[in-house]
Amino acid sequence: MDVRPSSTQQLLVASARDFLRRYCPLDQVLVRALDAQGFDDKLWRAMAELGWPGLLVPPALGGSGGSLLDVILLVEEMGYAGLPSPYVTSAVAVTTALLAWQSAPPSRRLLPALASGERIATLALVEEDGVFDPQTISLACDGAGRLRGRKLFVKDAHVADEVVVVVREGTGLGLLVLPTARAGIGRQPLDTISGDKLFAVTFDAVEVRAEDRLGPSSGEGLAAALQAGALARTAEMVGAAQRILELTVEHAKTRVQGGRPIGAYQAIQHACADLVCDVDASRALLHAAAWTASEGRAAGADVAMAKAYAGEACLAAARRGHQIFGAISYCEEHPLHVFHKRIQAASLDFGDAALHLETVAQAIGLEDHPRQSGRVMEEERHV
Amino acid sequence: MDFALTAEEQAFAAAVRGFLRDHPPARYSLDGMDAGYGSGSHSRAFLAALAAQGWISMCWPEGHGGRAWPMFFKLVLLEELALAGAPFGPLAGCWQTADAIIDYGSERLRREVLPAIARGEATFWQGYSEPGAGSDLLSLTTEAVRDGEHYVIRGHKIWSSHAGIATHGLVFTRTSREARRSRGFSMFVVPNGTPGLDIRPIRSLTGDVYHYEVFLDDVRVPRDLMLGREGEGFVALLNGLDADRFWGRFYKAPALRRVLGHLVSHANATTVRGVPLARDPVVRRRLAGLATDVAALRGLFYRAACLLRDGAPITYEVAMAKVLADETGQKLARLGMDLLGPWGPLRAGSREAKLDGEIAHSYLTSLGHTIAGGTAEVLRTTVAVRGLGLPAEPRASGRG
Repeated sequence: MDVRPSSTQQLLVASARDFLRRYCPLDQVLVRALDAQGFDDKLWRAMAELGWPGLLVPPALGGSGGSLLDVILLVEEMGYAGLPSPYVTSAVAVTTALLAWQSAPPSRRLLPALASGERIATLALVEEDGVFDPQTISLACDGAGRLRGRKLFVKDAHVADEVVVVVREGTGLGLLVLPTARAGIGRQPLDTISGDKLFAVTFDAVEVRAEDRLGPSSGEGLAAALQAGALARTAEMVGAAQRILELTVEHAKTRVQGGRPIGAYQAIQHACADLVCDVDASRALLHAAAWTASEGRAAGADVAMAKAYAGEACLAAARRGHQIFGAISYCEEHPLHVFHKRIQAASLDFGDAALHLETVAQAIGLEDHPRQSGRVMEEERHV
Repeated sequence: MDFALTAEEQAFAAAVRGFLRDHPPARYSLDGMDAGYGSGSHSRAFLAALAAQGWISMCWPEGHGGRAWPMFFKLVLLEELALAGAPFGPLAGCWQTADAIIDYGSERLRREVLPAIARGEATFWQGYSEPGAGSDLLSLTTEAVRDGEHYVIRGHKIWSSHAGIATHGLVFTRTSREARRSRGFSMFVVPNGTPGLDIRPIRSLTGDVYHYEVFLDDVRVPRDLMLGREGEGFVALLNGLDADRFWGRFYKAPALRRVLGHLVSHANATTVRGVPLARDPVVRRRLAGLATDVAALRGLFYRAACLLRDGAPITYEVAMAKVLADETGQKLARLGMDLLGPWGPLRAGSREAKLDGEIAHSYLTSLGHTIAGGTAEVLRTTVAVRGLGLPAEPRASGRG
């Protein structure tokens, strides 16, 4: 067992930290948090030159053939920097889905362009009940093969060139890859506190062609995409919480009240100790889950645990950060709220704690079928 | 990164599981109470069975009778024993004492005590705390005064686990009054039965005896039973404390996983108002949340284990993991009491008791875990000051 990243991974992390420190400093993060686009085209192109959007993609398709674990470590750095970008949706979740059907026409068309960062894609999954669970999908093509209805909480639809729409096809699910410019597709912004750019995407009798379909219906590719997305959003939370920890500890060392730094008071010390525990424990689960998934082993329960835990713990860390900083962190010009809101958004994206804890509940053997357990109890009562 | 056990470690885990199948832990007689840490009761018989496999001394250097196996084999052994609920109570203390003797013990300690540990015959109590020296350990007053080839120890120790049934005490004493606050301490290995040693049981709120208080009235101890050099006991103790907390809590995650498994079975087999407990969304979420907490705890301990193995500096990692271990244990015990409802407080052995009364027992014993071996408050301060570099709170008084 070795919990340390490999030397190549350490290099990736160090160069990402250095690049983002230079090109995505806190003042830029604050500016981008308030503007309509939400991210910087120039910065995206620079990231593309570093090969980041193609990290998961095999060299034959224009990428660099990195592992999911590499990507997770990189996204942790993006969270640390507070970088706003469509990276997780486009370069992690959608890319993972396309990689599951590499020979399908949409994948052949789109993967090289996603890898080079030339095009951006988003994922339209969630419907009216707000659940990130493919089982709940009801949107389907009508008898004439046209799509009518809408999807909610679609991230970065305003800058997406393509949208991957999860639809019901018979008893299974299908993935459609549609250009956002296709006639009948509408994008209405949802105004959120989080800084995430979220949209309702509407489909008004949208034509669906044979070459839009992502291969034969199979749950596995979608499951892999959702798992990668959940891991990446967890990494973003861990990175952001680490930044909150560092900003907060620095403040506790330098802010003087009552004649000494507030960090010399036990009340503040213990809050800082809880903060570091929340961050470290979240990271421990994240790295183990990302490694397991990267090795191609069954990682469903590990990913669910990591996402559920970080969703609670990193949010707790953010609230503690505000409490330790005091009034100054209530200001818009202070960076803390940007990291806090990013964690808030990430905790919901690709499934909230409740959804993932249900996966864990099944994994630890809690029965969700009433008959058998009921019978056992009846027998016990008669003893 | 690599989060898997090696092939050798997995093979050893399988061997331990095979041993546990052939030697069901329930068959071994128990000498002392299970304090709920996850290591089970004090059982000299079970310890002897482990010794017969060569597992107590397996990681010692070959020159000291060991097999020089890597440290991770100890983790594998502890994890399998804890998952099985085996009574290996004194094992971690034996290992730490042995490590200290190997590192800086006298020839006599190596010749007499080390082989007894390897055979599973020697177990240890810690004489650290005193009535007036708890979290502020260095204010202790027990003194050891040199008298020729002996030291004469006089003082009063308390909260010494299993002192009445162990074979030796590790007694932390002051050997010099002049020295600085952290200097002038020495550690002795004192055999039980030494004249002047008066070991009295303290009945705990569980109704059983786990702790003892120990009166030392001019206890004469040969010089070569000192562990380390005179005046350097505190350095030894400090080095030992992180290891103490690590080895004293590493098995908590697997032990909690075992209890969690029992609660899951209980929820699957119980209906309340016609509805299976396992289908109650709150019950599902709380049990799944605890399973997640336990997985995080295991992750933190394995991270600390990698640091210890690689000789990397440990500042706050073990202190933090201990706090999380003990508070997670309390959370699980509390959840167990909730799930059992009116059956919760029924003791082991009572009619109608569920899950062998283990939830009531762990609910009570878990109260002590955030106090013993460094309170959660002292350890949070350690995390903040040693780990995060926050300034220490000024001392009210003392020798500085």
